[in-house]
Amino acid sequence: MVETKKLMWMVKKEWLSLKRHPSRLISILVFPIIMILLFGYGMGGDLSDLPIVVVSQSNGDLTDMTLETIKTNDIYHVVKITNNVNEAKDMVDKGDVKAAIILPSDYDSDTSQQKSVTFYLDSSDQMATQSLVPTTQAIFSQISLEQASAMATQSTNSTIAVEDADTENSLSSSINSFKSSITLHINKIYGDIKYIDFLVPAVLGMTVMMSCMMGMGASIAGERETGELARLFMTPTSVATVIGGKILGKLSVEFLRAMILLSAAILLFGATVNGGILPTIIVLIIGALCFVGFGIMMSARASTQEDYSQMVMPFSMPMMFVSGVFYPVETMPWIFQQIAYICPLTYLNDAMRAIMLKGQTLGDVWFELLVLIGFTIFFFALGVKRFNRDV
Amino acid sequence: MKYVIETKDLTKRYGKFTAVNSLNMKIPNKTIFGMLGPNGAGKTTTIKMLTCLAQPTEGTAKVYGFDVIKEPNKVRDVLGMVPQHVSLYKDLTVLENSELCADFYGVPEDVKFDRINDLMELVDIKYAQDKKIGQLSGGQKQKASLVASLVHRPEILFLDEPTIGLDPTTKRILWELIQDLNDSGHTIILCSHDMHEVDMLCDNVGIINTGNLVAYDTPQGLKDTLLKEEKDEHDKIVHIALSQTHEDKEISKEDISSFKNQDEFLKFRKMSFLVDNLSENLTNKIKTISYVYDLKIGKQGRIELKIDKFNDEAITEVIKTVVEDGGIISSISTEEPSLEDVFIKVTSEAKDSARA
Repeated sequence: MVETKKLMWMVKKEWLSLKRHPSRLISILVFPIIMILLFGYGMGGDLSDLPIVVVSQSNGDLTDMTLETIKTNDIYHVVKITNNVNEAKDMVDKGDVKAAIILPSDYDSDTSQQKSVTFYLDSSDQMATQSLVPTTQAIFSQISLEQASAMATQSTNSTIAVEDADTENSLSSSINSFKSSITLHINKIYGDIKYIDFLVPAVLGMTVMMSCMMGMGASIAGERETGELARLFMTPTSVATVIGGKILGKLSVEFLRAMILLSAAILLFGATVNGGILPTIIVLIIGALCFVGFGIMMSARASTQEDYSQMVMPFSMPMMFVSGVFYPVETMPWIFQQIAYICPLTYLNDAMRAIMLKGQTLGDVWFELLVLIGFTIFFFALGVKRFNRDV
Repeated sequence: MKYVIETKDLTKRYGKFTAVNSLNMKIPNKTIFGMLGPNGAGKTTTIKMLTCLAQPTEGTAKVYGFDVIKEPNKVRDVLGMVPQHVSLYKDLTVLENSELCADFYGVPEDVKFDRINDLMELVDIKYAQDKKIGQLSGGQKQKASLVASLVHRPEILFLDEPTIGLDPTTKRILWELIQDLNDSGHTIILCSHDMHEVDMLCDNVGIINTGNLVAYDTPQGLKDTLLKEEKDEHDKIVHIALSQTHEDKEISKEDISSFKNQDEFLKFRKMSFLVDNLSENLTNKIKTISYVYDLKIGKQGRIELKIDKFNDEAITEVIKTVVEDGGIISSISTEEPSLEDVFIKVTSEAKDSARA
């Protein structure tokens, strides 16, 4: 009973401090939104409106159709349509546009001939290149396919008509006809997931990780430095109660932060939470508990907040980059993958994505949760054992 | 209970460094005990071990009969501590901090607020009960810290530099408060570098140096011991402060020698005269007195005399010389060796012995 009162005091103290420091409260409210905006708009958005120039040197249906297709695609912003190849190249060279699509002069002349469209690209902009090349390839593949299809129909008729006359031509047409008969059906089992959808669950996890780890430093190492912890330890109170109180206080604040993060992600980016809000929050809280435990373990011997920050940095920064927040773990070099699998953030990210994107239940992510809980127990056990009551 | 704190061979090592070395000390109940020592002497570590904030490496310590290793919670129940740097939560108010401490010490709900109120009134901080600690002045913070430390009615109260940085008025208020707390039955352990404070408040004083207890007695006892040690040589000092009537009057520097070192200084009982007028003739005459073997001019015409074989005869001789020369003595005072003298001597001796 007495210990419960002490625990509640620690939570109350956490909130009173926040209430009396509007700047900290604002940080709690605004920081998650800034994070989500930063990652959402800065990294998660698809590129669009990239300025290009189109060189059109002939007139005809194919040119019209091509121009229309290019103009209606969001990725391009057609700055100019010109018939001067050099002018278009100059524009790219000067950096006025990212690329020039150069349609050949015989583009409309004879549809049976191989046509060579040139994509003159400023490849120094890697991000733009990565978006423009596949999109442009897809557009011309589509146009090519449509042309092939049209030709096949024409060719079949003509094959019948000229069957004995030109066998080679007949074979070619048949292949084209066969080609166009293959249709690739893409079955996206979790719907059309954008990069932002991939990013949001991990950004939530990463934000919780950062604030828990840094927060515990202020809470324990900081109070050790200022003597507040010594005052608590001078009372007949166990280390477990003091640490427990710190955890409860921190978790209650992290819960609020997680709610804000989630709301911001849903409202600003329409982030999908297919598995439901409650399981998402439960996973976040388990993750928060794990990182609070990590913070306790690290702050157990840190005598100042500065020491703590220096001790935590080598863990937090690499963890942020190898735990699959920005890129799938599987795409990383072997050594990073091995590191990723010993980082709790990897499991939090996997669980968050499974719940939010795949709509899985807590039962489906039992393994990730088990690993997180295992890490938590390990961190707490080591933290309490290492915790130096000598202040 | 005769002694509230008893240590036996209490030792604390940090790696190879020994902060406290086989400390044996007894602090009587309901007294004010002054714990002195230079910086890094082991005072803080000793306090930490006695308040269960650090585990002894060797030896034992009993606080109010409870073993600091085996019964830490019982020890904590009987202790209160006002640290040098106020360690209350700066974002919480005086009242909230006191409540928090009361709850952490398990003070019953039905008496909690009455007790806090009484203490706030006692130390005169009730008017600021709703102010955050961060908004208080140094003195107010110490008072708030006292309330938080006394809320569970500890038998023993540790005060670590409680008046450091405080103005003289607030200092005196706190001194009175410390005395009142002792009168009401608390044993006070006072760590301070303010020798006057310790001399005035403490019943007993222990000086710790390089992790050892190098002196332990009443303040007067320590001073008497020092005086006795020096008595064989019996060199004492008389301070005669003379103010010059002529502003341009200067005393030749050859006539003035200064004390060579602290040890020499310690040999003398200090005495001062304040004379309204001073002439070169008078100065020369004073120097010729057989008991006077050193003369030093102080600021604004004040002169200090070192008088060998100090006794009534010496005083009479000096007074007679001054008066006969037309000097007007406005005040005479003698000084015992101070606790500071004792401190310097004891700690420098310990330092020399450690070096040896």
